[in-house]
Amino acid sequence: MSGIVRLTRRDFLRYTGVGAGALVLGSYISPSGELYAGILDTLENGFPLNAFVNILLDGTFIIFAPRSEMGQGTRSTLAAVLADELEADWSRVKVRQSDADGPRYSKELANPTPGGVPKYPISDELVQFADSSRSITLLFAPMRLFGAGIRTVFERAAARKWGVNTTECRARQHKVYHAASGRSVDYRHLLLQAKKVAVPTPAEATAALKPSKDWTFIGSDKVTPSARFVDVQDMVTGKAVYGADADPHRPGMLTAMIVRCPVANGEVKSFDDTETRKVAGVVNVVKVRLPATLAAGGVGAGFFPHAGVAVVAKNTWAALQGRRALKVEWDLSNLAAENASYDSKAYRGELEELTKKPGKTLRTRGDVDAALAAGKVVKADYYVPHLAQTPMEPPAAVALFENGRFEIWSPTQGPELTQHYVGLAMLKPDPMKLLLWQVTEPDEILKDCEKQEQIEFNELLGTVMGGKSLPELVKLRDELKQEVRDKVKVHVTLLGGGFGRKSKPDYAIEAAFLAREHPGVPIRVQWTREDDIQFSYFHAVSHQHLEAALDGEGHATAWLQRSAFPSFFATLFPPPDYLPAPARPLFSKARSAYHGGGEYPYGASIERAQGLEDMPFDVKDLRIENCPAQNHIRLGWMRSVSNIFHAFSAGSFADELAIEAGRDAKDYLLELIGKGRILDLEAEGVKCFDNNGLPAMKPIGPSAAYPADTRRLRGVVERVAKESGWDEKVKKYKGTKRGLGIAAHRSFLSYVAIVVDVTLNDANELTINEIHGAIDCGMAVNVDRVKAQMEGGMLYGLSYALLGEITVKNGAVEQHNFDDYPVLRIHQAPKNIFVHIMPSTGELPTGAGEPPTPAVAPALANAIVAAGGPRIREIPFFERHEDEGKVPRVKVRVL
Amino acid sequence: MSVFHLHVNGRLYTVDIDGNMPLLWALRDILGLKGTKFGCGVAQCGACTVHLDGRAVRSCSVDVGVACLSKITTIEGLSSDGSHPCQKAWVELGVPQCGFCQPGQIMSAAALLTTTKGADPTDEQIDNAMRGNICRCGTYPRIRAAIHKAAESSS
Repeated sequence: MSGIVRLTRRDFLRYTGVGAGALVLGSYISPSGELYAGILDTLENGFPLNAFVNILLDGTFIIFAPRSEMGQGTRSTLAAVLADELEADWSRVKVRQSDADGPRYSKELANPTPGGVPKYPISDELVQFADSSRSITLLFAPMRLFGAGIRTVFERAAARKWGVNTTECRARQHKVYHAASGRSVDYRHLLLQAKKVAVPTPAEATAALKPSKDWTFIGSDKVTPSARFVDVQDMVTGKAVYGADADPHRPGMLTAMIVRCPVANGEVKSFDDTETRKVAGVVNVVKVRLPATLAAGGVGAGFFPHAGVAVVAKNTWAALQGRRALKVEWDLSNLAAENASYDSKAYRGELEELTKKPGKTLRTRGDVDAALAAGKVVKADYYVPHLAQTPMEPPAAVALFENGRFEIWSPTQGPELTQHYVGLAMLKPDPMKLLLWQVTEPDEILKDCEKQEQIEFNELLGTVMGGKSLPELVKLRDELKQEVRDKVKVHVTLLGGGFGRKSKPDYAIEAAFLAREHPGVPIRVQWTREDDIQFSYFHAVSHQHLEAALDGEGHATAWLQRSAFPSFFATLFPPPDYLPAPARPLFSKARSAYHGGGEYPYGASIERAQGLEDMPFDVKDLRIENCPAQNHIRLGWMRSVSNIFHAFSAGSFADELAIEAGRDAKDYLLELIGKGRILDLEAEGVKCFDNNGLPAMKPIGPSAAYPADTRRLRGVVERVAKESGWDEKVKKYKGTKRGLGIAAHRSFLSYVAIVVDVTLNDANELTINEIHGAIDCGMAVNVDRVKAQMEGGMLYGLSYALLGEITVKNGAVEQHNFDDYPVLRIHQAPKNIFVHIMPSTGELPTGAGEPPTPAVAPALANAIVAAGGPRIREIPFFERHEDEGKVPRVKVRVL
Repeated sequence: MSVFHLHVNGRLYTVDIDGNMPLLWALRDILGLKGTKFGCGVAQCGACTVHLDGRAVRSCSVDVGVACLSKITTIEGLSSDGSHPCQKAWVELGVPQCGFCQPGQIMSAAALLTTTKGADPTDEQIDNAMRGNICRCGTYPRIRAAIHKAAESSS
């Protein structure tokens, strides 16, 4: 992706416009209509202090939330962090959601500085991207610095006003105090003075950071849940605005529903809208097909939508009725032909066959083959099907096209991604432009191991585009970006859940496409639940093959893991077969240069690094392999992504080994982890390990390292075992139909261990009595939200472990709604959910959104065995008729 | 298309629409009351829950032609200012995460407390009343706690 602007000297208050604001007021002694416009704008928006904070005349701060809110609480939390350091009175803080504006925020964040601010390793397009559980990880320190820096400005302003030393002035809750004289002054009265003082340097702002004992919100478990939850009142009164609620304040909004081709890369052959047009309220019927793609939506088409036919109507009901009456014939030839034969059942067999042969070796230690030959071998295979994220809010977006410009309202995890793809699709429909976007100067945000790929890509693209040098490509790229940013505005609404589905901008592109068909009229595209389940970017199906050897004392001496899964990067980039021969090297190089995308049909570095390459157990001989897998359906990411199948298999297998060795599962798990160490994956042959985008072993500049430290994994295992009463309960329940299961996993830089306590009755019905989760996330910034994310993430894990499976036949998804894709309901969820947050180990918070999830499924599988039930090695666990008892499962209370 | 009189949140609306239109879409698209959400359209998820004469119903599966016979209450009408005991308990315990399902959850919970006449519901009563409301964010434990808190505060 593109490079970021890196300034050599950080001046994050460069944007301090306080003085400029005062000047603006002074200069508006002018007899023109602009007098009122300027003042109204200032009254509403105030004066910018930096890219993240404005101040109104009455001293109210407007803090911008650059990242989307999907329930993880970052909208409120990041503002509250800034407000804490700023010593702002929270009742005088308003939080406003940012539009897509990558350059604005990346400029502010881009500079490496002294004082421990993490180097921001993310490109412009991803600065505002809420994924991979790292909004707090990346933005905690900068938000603190901004708050401390602005507070320093006000303290200096007060000092100047009173003619005293700044050291004598202390800010607290929106006022500056001078203890010696007993004077105080509100921030609102310091606006003019603030213009005249020196802006603190990064070092000065760092020195001004509050010590943790002075925090009033950060890290506090005394803050009530709603004290820093800006939307909670709106959420309980129906005022919160989500995608379908967005109101462009323009008359005549139309709503569209789209019939989409059920097979990836299929096209519309013909359609009959005779009956559709008879439905009252239907205004238009139009084919949806984006010209910018090499293929219609699906495999290799990135985020461009499936081909389809849209019914545009005066209200949602008319659109739905119109859609029901539409007849469409599909062209499933060419690229769609192979996808049309995709059968998930058969594919499972293919994946299993693949794992019978060695794959590409990712990591080696010792001699696993010799160890397997010498010990008692235990083998197991695990299977996780395609899954759908199913956020409560089905995708929906609103778009308006006017005077060559697009305005979008979308519940999106990726505002700039939305802007980028709407722009490319609607303004510059040309696949080469997609590649131009990927030009990056090799010295900027790339890891050393990624640079060569990027250099080669840049050179190849330059050649294909007629012999352009890198500077020329960069100039073309930047012109393209500027045009897209000028012509596409993206507003971000609240998201009714994301879980990875809403990181893809396909539904916003659909809205933009239809908006262009109706210039000047706002168009809302509404997805039904059936659309959401059938046209997701699905969690990748996976087959895992594991082997271990146990010595005479039951200690594991070998660990072989083969992971087969189709890669999401095959959705992003066309597989070679989809391309004419001359284009293949270019797109292949584009894929491998893009965030370590690797080559088709292997996993990308992000996917390999999620529990596979960093398998944490300290086994003397090991080999980790990735088997190739073809892609036939649109894939994407679901909460914790590849950790799901890697943790399910490793966590279950650890338990199987414990049972084989006749040992307590928790003790054995601790033995497998060993006394704990920092994983040196490079030494074991892992190339270009993706540590959630942050340095693993060594700090880079001022950016801290986040090593994989299995001592912390031990820590959460010991904590959760203690809190759940493991030792006493295992003893007490031995031989009964009640049992405990344990598993642990590191993901997104955090460490989580789970204990599940279940009972199985004689009819094989499962009751989950309680679930305990311990998390080490460095430090919990918003303690209540970390607790909520643990509660929610654990339930999310239980839901897919127990229920819901996406199956595909003849290329089309077979599930439709919550009746045939069930998700966890309140009566199925354990009543007792316990969260244990490990004590803070410093000021480097790590993720809490996805980490709670991966260890849940294996812990549950292990608990079921402990309760006398079967060893279930495939997700989901619920019993169904067609199994006829052949596949071990359990019964789950349904509606 | 016919004329219907809808009694919503204490106000009378006159609308000229297809009588087969589900109440959900009449509320959202015709009356502009967007607090009631669309989640599945087939009465499986509860996001669209409103009250008809105080009873919880899924507005995606009730036609306007039927709904016009009752007093309709949506989340916007549960209170004028967020002061219903359920709303207050939800805020106090920080129940919502993404918040999308919560209007439906609150409407179902409020109806439950009406049937228990404000008495604290049992676990089984909560299960039965709330099992039709899905939450993907996993706020179920806090929903339970908030229902108990709301019952406690209204007694």
